[in-house]
Amino acid sequence: MPSSHTDSSPEPAVSPERPPRVSRRSVLRGAAGAGAVGLAVAGGAAAVTGFTRQDQPAAPDAAPAVAGAGPVLVYLRDTATGEMDVFAGTGQTRLRNPALVRELLRAIN
Amino acid sequence: MSSHREAPEISKDPVADSTDVYAFVSPDQPDTVTLIANYIPLQGPAGGPNFYSFGPDVLYEIHIDVNGDGRPDITYQFRFSTRLRDPDTFLYNTGPVTSLDSPNWNSRQFYSVTRVEYGKSEVLGSVLACPPCNIGPLSTPDYATLASAAVHAVTGGIKVFAGQRAEGFYVDLGAVFDLADLRPFEQLHAQYGLDAFTKAASGVNATAHLNVHSIAIQVPMSQVLPRARHGQPGDRGSVIGIWTTASRQKARVWDSGDDRYVYSGPWQQVSRLGNPLFNELLVGLGSKDLWNTLPPADDKRFADRVAHPELAALLPALYPGVFPNLEALVKSGTARADLEAILLTGIPSGIITGFQNYTGPTQSDVLRLNTAIPPSKVPSQLGLLGGDLAGYPNGRRVFDDVVTIELRAIAGVTVPLVDKSFTPDGAASAVTDGLTAASVPSGYLDSFPYLGVPYSGFTTPSS
Repeated sequence: MPSSHTDSSPEPAVSPERPPRVSRRSVLRGAAGAGAVGLAVAGGAAAVTGFTRQDQPAAPDAAPAVAGAGPVLVYLRDTATGEMDVFAGTGQTRLRNPALVRELLRAIN
Repeated sequence: MSSHREAPEISKDPVADSTDVYAFVSPDQPDTVTLIANYIPLQGPAGGPNFYSFGPDVLYEIHIDVNGDGRPDITYQFRFSTRLRDPDTFLYNTGPVTSLDSPNWNSRQFYSVTRVEYGKSEVLGSVLACPPCNIGPLSTPDYATLASAAVHAVTGGIKVFAGQRAEGFYVDLGAVFDLADLRPFEQLHAQYGLDAFTKAASGVNATAHLNVHSIAIQVPMSQVLPRARHGQPGDRGSVIGIWTTASRQKARVWDSGDDRYVYSGPWQQVSRLGNPLFNELLVGLGSKDLWNTLPPADDKRFADRVAHPELAALLPALYPGVFPNLEALVKSGTARADLEAILLTGIPSGIITGFQNYTGPTQSDVLRLNTAIPPSKVPSQLGLLGGDLAGYPNGRRVFDDVVTIELRAIAGVTVPLVDKSFTPDGAASAVTDGLTAASVPSGYLDSFPYLGVPYSGFTTPSS
C-alpha cells in the first residue's frame, strides 16, 4: 500500500520539478490550460456549487503533485448530479457542478 | 503460481504484476537483510526487439512493518526511466554490449531509490543503471559480468540491483492448474472418470527457462529494526514484516499527439504480495482484484479464507481416500488456527523450540522475518517443515520450496502445532508437485542479488 509521503526523487526522467501541492485554485487553473475540458471547467468555475477535496489516498508520489505540470484529466462520474473527479499531478479533486456538466454534454452531443 | 497473473486485472498488466517476494538474512553478509521483489512474469527470453523492462509509469515499493500493525513503517521506492540513444533504429542494441554505458546499447533503463520512514523521504541513489536483458552471445557476450556491474552501492551502506534475472520460483503449473493434478501422485487423482493417469510421474518445472525482473536491496540490519528490543530470536522487535506493492496513477488516457499514454492523479495500488500464493490460492476470484488494492492491515476480511481454505476441501475430494483425517477436519468446520498463525500473525513463542515470528494480533499477509535467526549452514528447502528455522515461513529464501511447504501445511501437517490431538494423514507430509531447487536450470547465486543469471534469448528460444 502506498504510504503517506511524498518523494523528492531528483531522477529527471521520472520526476520533473515539483511545484506546490494541488489546490482547488490550481486545479481549475490547470484545467483551464487543458483544452476543451479546461475551458469548460474555467468557464463554469463561478457556477461551481460545491466541491469536496477527497482524502488523499495514502500515496507516495514521485510524480508532480500539481496541476499544470502534466495532463489534467476529468472524469464525469455522474452526469445527473454533475459530480466529476479532476485528476491533476498526483491530486484528485471531486467537484459537483451540474451546469458545467450540462455545458459539456451539450458540447459533445 | 506464487503470484504470477494471480488476479484478473493485474494479469493484464504484467509490468506492474508482482510475482514473488523474498526476505532473508543475507547468508554472506549476516549483518544485513536482503529484500527482493520480482515483477513481469513468465518472460520468454527471446522476447525482442522490445525486450522486457520496468514500467516508468509504475511506482514499485518494498515495505517493512516493524510494529505489527500491517502498515508500512519503512518503504523503499523504486522509479524507472527509459532512455533511447537512437530512436530511429528498431534495434535494442546495435552491437555487443560489454558495459553499462556501451554506446551500442540503445534502450536503457535507469532508476532511483528512495527510503521513506514515517513520512520522511531520503533519496538513496538516482540515475542507477539497470543491466540489459540477456540476449545472446553476440549482443551480451559476458552477461554475468555485465549484470554484476549493475549492483550499485548507495547511501547508507545499501546495495541495490534492478534488472532481469532467471525465475527462481519453481512450480508445476501445467499440472496444478489441471484440476490440482500433482504428477507424483496423479494415479491417485479422481480424474473425473477419464482414466488419464495410471502411474506416478515426475514434476515438470513450468518456469524453467523463463525470466523475471527483480528489484533487490540489501540493507544493514540496523536500518530495518525498530526501537523495540531486538537481537534475540525471542524478541518481538527482531521480527519484521515485508511485502511489495506496485501502484499506478488513477487516470490514464492515450495522447494521440504524443502517441503514448499519459497519466494523472493519485497513486492507486494495483498489485501486492507478501506470502507466496496467498492471493493466488486462498482468495476467491471475485475478490482478488480488491485484495491487490488493500494494505495488509485490512486482511482480517480475508481471514476466513485462510481459516477454511478451499484447497483443504479439494484435496480429499480430488484424491479420494488419501486424506481422510484432513477430510474429517474440514467437515468439522474447525478453523485452521495453524494457517492463520503462519500466514496472518506469525507463529508465537512456545510452539516451535527456539523460534517465533509473531508480529501481534493484527492479521496481515506479510512475510515475517525473524532477523535474529542466523542463516543456516545446511539449509533445507522445506524451511521450518524441514527443521530449518531460517527458511520459509521465516521470511523466504530464493530456493525455498514454497509450493511443497504450503501444500503440506494446507494438507494438515501443521495442524498439530495448535492441536496435538490431530494426526495428519501420511500423505500430508509427502505431498509435493515433485520439484526441488535443482529444478531451476540457472541455479542461484551465492551472493547478492542471489537469483540466477537470466536465460538468454539465443540459448532459450521462446518457440
